Amino acid sequence: MAWSRKSAMFGSLAIALYLLGLTLRNHQLVTVAVVLLSFLTWAALRAAHADVSASGRRMEERVDEEAGVSLSRLEAMRKLSTARVFEDGTVDVTLKIQNMSPLSKVLEVRDSLPEVMRIKQGANYILMELGPRRETVIEYTAECPLRGFYTVGPVCIRIQDSFGLFHKEKELHVYDDFLVFPKTEDLKDAFVKSKVPKIFTGAVNIRQPGPGSEFYNLREYIAGDPMKSINWSAYARTGKLMVNERERDAVSDIILILDSRAVAETGPVSRNSLVYGTRGAASLASFFLARRDSVGLVSYSDEILSVDRDTGKKQLYVILTKLAGAMARGSTPMQVVTNRILPHINKGSPIIILSCLEDDPTIVAAVRDLRARDFDTTILSPSSLEFEFDARRLDRTGYEVLKTERDILISELRGLGAFVMDWEPDMMLSTALAGARGF
Amino acid sequence: MAQQRVSKDTSHLYDGKVVRSSAPSRKALAAKMTGGSTEIPKDAIPDVHIPSFVESLFGGPLIPKMKFLPADKMVQTLQMWSGAVMIMLGVLTYIVTPVSGTAWFSFSEMIGVEVLGLAIHLLLVLSAIGCGFWGIFSRDSRFILISYVLFIVVSFRFAASKVSFEWLVFEDELIQKIALVAYAVLLVMYIELTNGVIRFSMLDTSIRTGEVYVMNVKKVLTKYHISLVITPLIAAAVATITLLFKDVISGAVGIFSEITALRLEESVELESVYGVALGTMIVFLLVAVVFVADLPGRYQKMREGISSTDE
Repeated sequence: MAWSRKSAMFGSLAIALYLLGLTLRNHQLVTVAVVLLSFLTWAALRAAHADVSASGRRMEERVDEEAGVSLSRLEAMRKLSTARVFEDGTVDVTLKIQNMSPLSKVLEVRDSLPEVMRIKQGANYILMELGPRRETVIEYTAECPLRGFYTVGPVCIRIQDSFGLFHKEKELHVYDDFLVFPKTEDLKDAFVKSKVPKIFTGAVNIRQPGPGSEFYNLREYIAGDPMKSINWSAYARTGKLMVNERERDAVSDIILILDSRAVAETGPVSRNSLVYGTRGAASLASFFLARRDSVGLVSYSDEILSVDRDTGKKQLYVILTKLAGAMARGSTPMQVVTNRILPHINKGSPIIILSCLEDDPTIVAAVRDLRARDFDTTILSPSSLEFEFDARRLDRTGYEVLKTERDILISELRGLGAFVMDWEPDMMLSTALAGARGF
Repeated sequence: MAQQRVSKDTSHLYDGKVVRSSAPSRKALAAKMTGGSTEIPKDAIPDVHIPSFVESLFGGPLIPKMKFLPADKMVQTLQMWSGAVMIMLGVLTYIVTPVSGTAWFSFSEMIGVEVLGLAIHLLLVLSAIGCGFWGIFSRDSRFILISYVLFIVVSFRFAASKVSFEWLVFEDELIQKIALVAYAVLLVMYIELTNGVIRFSMLDTSIRTGEVYVMNVKKVLTKYHISLVITPLIAAAVATITLLFKDVISGAVGIFSEITALRLEESVELESVYGVALGTMIVFLLVAVVFVADLPGRYQKMREGISSTDE
């Protein structure tokens, strides 16, 4: 049984008035004190059902009955509509509360939700009168604005006297886990091509028209087609302008490198480099895997985590799960990552780095290594400066100085032959990718 | 073939936002900062509530600062009851708390203006009622708290050993004590009802803003209303037994010895507050025995249908 602040104040007032009444020989004060004490005692008698400390039982017996008899016959069950959802998606929660006791109870029930989740419909906090041997179902919808692994639970139940003087609480340890994937953006084109198409074992013949080297089809000329693709012999034969279509080259391997160091989380919780990085990586993985490419992921924080290259929908969920769990910590330098992964990547494979490019003195050397081995390197850099500036946490002078440093670094990286894009907070990923390639 | 130049304005594509594929102008962005000073903007500093000394002492704000939605029927009923109880309390306070023995009476006597003491006394009672009314109907906890303090301060006086009312003389001692118990019960009920006004206003606001959902609200309220009737009756009964302790004990002793019972009945000590203190001690000793024997727990287990073998 726990005392509320109200009961504690009632108790203190009663004792103070009682002592003052005795000192002043004042019947009024003593009577008020006695009534207050009686009021409290009656509430305690009604609330302190089988209070363990009063019954003198051992501690180990208390574990089962820590909340007393009145809460011992309550049970809860929970069901989630889905175990996997994308950011900004919703989860429908159905909570069933059963009262196995022959007495009706007035209960406060709160289903514990992770802090970042928002209630979209219904309520997870319910005050109810639950009849004897009855059950009730509580339904609510929670919105999941941020990626991550989440747990719903425990169910907290409180029973208190009518005046709110004493209460008992119990946690029903019912937990349900679910996963929030970073949201993805539909991409029309990633502007990423392999320089060494389809020469590796296991390369996929995708049988789709697009930029490539092998002939695929002949079709009529439409405005905008390059002149060099016109098939003049076919034109001579048919009298119509015909163009050669080529089979799109399959990009054998795409490597996504995600910077999830502690510095990547600089900025507001929902708008920082890591959030943008994970969303970018998820969108790119989804795009390339839909194109039947082989995609691998390397995430570096205080350790280097990697997902081996593979194709298919299963690989997408493996990557999305890794991205959902990416935590900002550590400060592993980029060069350690490139040194570790370079021997395992096929030469010429496109590498897309999603990094804020901050607090890493090895970034230039790492990109130089990649370019020296002729890897097609694209860097998408969500800048924490912009997030901080938008949130008005950075003053103008500081922003200008840091921005100049950043621009110099980006220019240096561009000078090494990498495609670098300063990814603005309001910029779509497709625009950023196009911008990186100079479109 | 001349290619048509694509407009740089992309606002029609992205919900009215212009999306750039080139690096934005840093200077243009920086110029958006107003004031030109290097001070940290006020909205960039998160709101951190530093508890005051009183708050840290009580583990939180003493008075909740929640803004309520207009009162619904449930809250209005409680407000009406609180107002009614407060008026009765005001009248009873005036009856059972004479001005003699109070600090302001001593002061007025000292300066030779006795009527000043009476004026202050009356002013305190009227202020308590005024603050109470304002607090109840505007649902402002600060005024309600001031009202509590004033109602209690009014009764701070050095008194004689016997119960004495100055404004109204009751011949029967029992009626005198019943009036005293009624005063005390009304004071406690006033505190509880006004507290209920704030508590249910908070609950009502939470329900209407969707923070809390209430199932079977009528049953929840019925339980509260039943408690509002039963609890004061129990408290009044306990207080009456305590105040009439002298009669109870002399009646019990009278079974064995009439002379001892008469002596006890005429005892000055038992008539005074110390007699009441003795009565309180014995009554609450019995309550303690009930707690130690875990009688409510056993009763609850019986009602819940849990046998000792279930444990």
